[in-house]
Amino acid sequence: MTRTPKRVAMLAALLALVLFVAACGSSSSDDKGGSVKSSAGQKIPQGKQGGELTVLSAGDVDYMDPGQMYYTFGYMIGYSVNRALYSFKPDNAEKPVPDIAASDPQISADKKTITIKIKQGIKFSPPVNREITTKDIKYAMERVFSANVPNPYATGYFGTIQGAPKAPAKGIPDISGIQTPDDQTLVIKLTQPKAATVAAALVMPLTMPVPPEYAKKFDAKNPSTYNQNVVFTGPYMVKNDASGKLTGWKPAKSIELVRNPNWDKSTDYRPAYLDKIHIDEGNADATVASRRILNGSALVQGDGAPPAPVLKQAATRFKNQLVLVPAGGTRYVAMNTKIKPFDNVNVRKAVVAIFDRNAMRLTRGGPIVGDLAWRYIPPGIPGFDEAGGLNVPDDPKFDFLKNPAGDPAVAKKYMLAAKQDGVPVTADGKYAGKEKLLMIGTNADPGKKSAQVAENQFEKLGFNLNFRIVTQDALYTKFCGVPKANVAICPNVGFFKDFVDPESFINPTFNGEAILPANNTNWPQLDDKAINKAIDDAAILAPGAERSKAFAKIDQDITLLAPAVPWLWDKTPLIESKDVQGVADNYSTVWHLSFTSLK
Amino acid sequence: MSLLEVDDLRVHFHTDDGIVKAVDGVSYRVERGQALGIVGESGSGKSVSSLTVMGLTRFFKSARISGSIRFDGKELLTASDEEMRRIRGNEIAMIFQDPLSSLHPFYRIGKQLVEAIQSHRDVSRAQALDRAVEMLGLVGIPEPRKRVDAYPHEFSGGMRQRVMIAMALANDPKLLIADEPTTALDVTVQAQILDLIQRLQSELDTAIVMITHDLGVVAEVTDEIAVMYAGEIVEHASKDTIFASPEHPYTWGLLRSIPRLDLPRGEELVPISGRPPSLINTPGGCYFHPRCPYVREAHRVTHPGLDPVPDDAEHTVRCLLASDTRRRLWRELQEGKDPEQARTAVGIDAEEVAP
Amino acid sequence: MATYIVRRLLWMIVLLLVISFLTFLIFQKLPSADPVSLRAGRNATPELRASIKHTFGLDKPFFEQYRIYLAKLVPFDFHKGFKPPDFGYSYQNNVSVKSQILDRLPATAGLSLGGVVVWLLIGIPVGIISAIRRGKLSDRLAMGGALVAISAPVYWLGLVMLYLFSNDIGRIKIFEGAGSYPNTGSLFSDPFSVAPSLFLPWIVLATAFAAIYARFLRGNLLEVMAEDYIRTARAKGLRERTVIFRHGVRSAITPIVTILGLDLGILLGGAILTETVFNIPGIGRLAFDSIQKSDLPTVQGTVIMGAFFIIALNLIVDVLYAFLDPRVRY
Repeated sequence: MTRTPKRVAMLAALLALVLFVAACGSSSSDDKGGSVKSSAGQKIPQGKQGGELTVLSAGDVDYMDPGQMYYTFGYMIGYSVNRALYSFKPDNAEKPVPDIAASDPQISADKKTITIKIKQGIKFSPPVNREITTKDIKYAMERVFSANVPNPYATGYFGTIQGAPKAPAKGIPDISGIQTPDDQTLVIKLTQPKAATVAAALVMPLTMPVPPEYAKKFDAKNPSTYNQNVVFTGPYMVKNDASGKLTGWKPAKSIELVRNPNWDKSTDYRPAYLDKIHIDEGNADATVASRRILNGSALVQGDGAPPAPVLKQAATRFKNQLVLVPAGGTRYVAMNTKIKPFDNVNVRKAVVAIFDRNAMRLTRGGPIVGDLAWRYIPPGIPGFDEAGGLNVPDDPKFDFLKNPAGDPAVAKKYMLAAKQDGVPVTADGKYAGKEKLLMIGTNADPGKKSAQVAENQFEKLGFNLNFRIVTQDALYTKFCGVPKANVAICPNVGFFKDFVDPESFINPTFNGEAILPANNTNWPQLDDKAINKAIDDAAILAPGAERSKAFAKIDQDITLLAPAVPWLWDKTPLIESKDVQGVADNYSTVWHLSFTSLK
Repeated sequence: MSLLEVDDLRVHFHTDDGIVKAVDGVSYRVERGQALGIVGESGSGKSVSSLTVMGLTRFFKSARISGSIRFDGKELLTASDEEMRRIRGNEIAMIFQDPLSSLHPFYRIGKQLVEAIQSHRDVSRAQALDRAVEMLGLVGIPEPRKRVDAYPHEFSGGMRQRVMIAMALANDPKLLIADEPTTALDVTVQAQILDLIQRLQSELDTAIVMITHDLGVVAEVTDEIAVMYAGEIVEHASKDTIFASPEHPYTWGLLRSIPRLDLPRGEELVPISGRPPSLINTPGGCYFHPRCPYVREAHRVTHPGLDPVPDDAEHTVRCLLASDTRRRLWRELQEGKDPEQARTAVGIDAEEVAP
Repeated sequence: MATYIVRRLLWMIVLLLVISFLTFLIFQKLPSADPVSLRAGRNATPELRASIKHTFGLDKPFFEQYRIYLAKLVPFDFHKGFKPPDFGYSYQNNVSVKSQILDRLPATAGLSLGGVVVWLLIGIPVGIISAIRRGKLSDRLAMGGALVAISAPVYWLGLVMLYLFSNDIGRIKIFEGAGSYPNTGSLFSDPFSVAPSLFLPWIVLATAFAAIYARFLRGNLLEVMAEDYIRTARAKGLRERTVIFRHGVRSAITPIVTILGLDLGILLGGAILTETVFNIPGIGRLAFDSIQKSDLPTVQGTVIMGAFFIIALNLIVDVLYAFLDPRVRY
């Protein structure tokens, strides 16, 4: 056919017009002035009772079973349907309040015993229906040590409990260190004086009560099937049938939350305004989902942040529907200190010096997504202010961190110092080695973009990179988390808090003794004897000024060893529809379903 | 009034390469009950002229048709599409060369016959089927009532052609055009089919136009023969005359190229040298001159008309040589001389033949 | 014919076995991520990892694992006779793979079958008209449009559709429910509420296919119309419409049946792109998610399901062909 090009061009022009019209709606230079809300230090507003909210998420909860729950999105659901011993109110993410517990935990003088009293009148949802006792909490904590309920936090945070098995046990072990002298009292005995850490970890989902007489039959299977039959203590519950099977959970499709008929408002600080919550999963396209939330009604986001372009739009046109939550995490570009030339501290400092951290932040959306990081303990964790807060001190030993856009002169200085150490460096401060250094990045945006910017930074100093892109999961499970894989640079790593304590932040990431052959989170594989000892010493200090100061110093010392390029202290953006009065949960950085209401 | 009168028919195809003059001034008559044979090579225009009679050339977008075709007094070239449709398969029928590809492979032959009948007659399906069975019997298909449910590929070649004939004759057409009906068949089967056609012609009094490249085929069935070359008729006479005293060098070539049973084996076949001409750029003068052993200078320039020979008004020849000269040439050829020798013997100047 | 079908069914079983083995091999030797690490979580101790590995059965030798898998999959047990096939449990959330696939099948089926209907309704008439009016304006427009439709990436087209017509974020809201597939019910159980949410996906899915079928049919029909039996049909004095449809289209359409079967088979294995853009919980999405998460049992399940549909539909169209074309005999 020889005479179609003209007509094809017409059609193409028509389609381009259509696309232009569609895109047009998103651009608007509407800047009404003022800044976006941050949830740090927010006041909890009064809400209207009733209504139905829909949560749009891309993925599914990993688990309903509080003993296995792991990802933030799981927490969003998990903490509205179940209650832990201690929880965080939305207006304070640093100090937890008693939830099932009646008062703060009592710690013995030798720091080896914790005593907790629980409230009365808290009941399980149907079909169990009875009041909870400390035996239910003991069972919950014991079952996570079983091979049938795999949970890394078990040995990680509670391994110091007397009688706790070192390896996953067959069946449910009876842990002698968890004692229930009566139905309202729980006593935890430790083998080491680590009561401070263990007490802080009592906010975790694995302290959510599980009725043994009901759950035993499910936990007998490997893997346990309690996940499909969970019972609840929170203001909401997943719809279930008479036998306890969760009919309201269609994996990867939807979850229906309804009110828990056995929830007693007087025992709880949560208002629980909404009548029903519907979680709609599988919204894989973040742009589409974000737009639906911003333009629609009674919608909030679940997992997944709005992508940078939508975020920009939200920050200008939909300011009142956007809240920034300090994520309590740090993103950094890890350098493998066991691989040349990153085994030389001057080389590493030079890399940190040359890095354009502004450009890295821009890949995620610019200043709105967080503050530029220069250390590892993030805002909101005790020790942050003591270590120096947001701004790099003027002290010359921090000169390589001073300029967030990168400082070639300082970088050159450190490279030449490395040259003195024997590292092959050219006269003008570039790396002279010819080998290709392995860098593994993620294929999921915006991480991919960040990795690409990181690649450019390394190339500025003359490094040759073998840059490979893999899936997020492969990145952690096959490459960066596996020391044997010998990855030189991991640009997409970051650590986010499990709970509000500096040790949970510093220990797994920079303690040489915490390096694991797989699922490793000490990505730089830093193994400095002095730092290791300092961490172990500070870990036993009681929570308070002394503990915070000790970890602050450790943070600074680690920073001076430059094992990585820290670049972002995240603020998680949360978006809601116009008619939603959302309250952010500062602890899990998601919307707090028990405090959110409709306007 | 003849049944079919074709006058100065021209069919030109306007293609990107140029104008293809497939039929360039053809005239003939067919009387009721008579059989005309049209003989020629591929590309002589014999098929196109008959397709035009049927009105099938109209379906080619590039065709330009002029002249006149009168059937039973009616001018066909100006008839409407619907009028032509009513004539096709009804008053004029046509059968084609390859009966396997000419029948629809997916439908039973009974259905295809019934379809042919019902599109022209207002009869029930049962009645049409009866007629179909009757026709199959007529053309010599054994057990026609059973065979009517068979598919085309379940028949042998000869049987299929009989089916085609049955289908063509189902509506008692006045004229049957047979375009190379036996070319795709074995020789023995050929004979059977020709016999059949002949028999049906006399039983049903149908006029026949038999198109072929094979003179042997027309020797049996026809009354008159027209020889076509490069879109024109170059010789037209009664069958007997064509075989006894042909007067066109092309016809001579055709006759001499037939393998003969009565000559000794081992005799070389005598082809006509050269190739058929392009119908876009036809040769100047006489279209046959590039291949004619008896060509003279004038033949390259002057285009001969179709003129009768002196003593037989029914015998027309398109040749610039005098009838007398031609007859002498034919006698020489019959005595066994080859064309060169004949030419010398008769005394035509032996000039170089233009390539 | 019966022996032919039996022979094909036996081949189907052989093929499925081979495919299951190849999938097993690929995902064991070249996994996208380590399922044990994913399940174990951050900072898992080696003991925990070993325990999980044992639960998944991944600590057994390769062929032993495959044998166990096969024994569960095959719906026949030497001791117990016939048993339902067991596709295993997801590494992710321990849900039975079979129940997940069956749960998602109606969504994919609704999307695919509806898409097929739409694209046949569009593609076949366009193809026929284009062939009949070959060279005219309508033909050129149709074929030009078809070219654009084939070139448009499904994902892009889906997003454009959403931004234009979706009920909640679109510019022109055409009807209720457009662009958001309900999470309960399927086209088969609840047609009136589910169908509107499938209109946009059907159009997106159908666009490229309709174009392909139109072009294909046009080409076929043009070829068929040059065949000798068309000439005979005209010579018989049939109406031109009868010639085109009963003789022409009838021949031209049989190859379409073959490719339709193949296309439908592939779609039933999961139209990943369309399902993702419109958030339809079908098998395609399930496959995609489980591949990302290295959830081997689910991946296996979806692959075998997809292969089954393709092979089964292949067989069906081949058998069907024998009914459409009497020259074909098995």
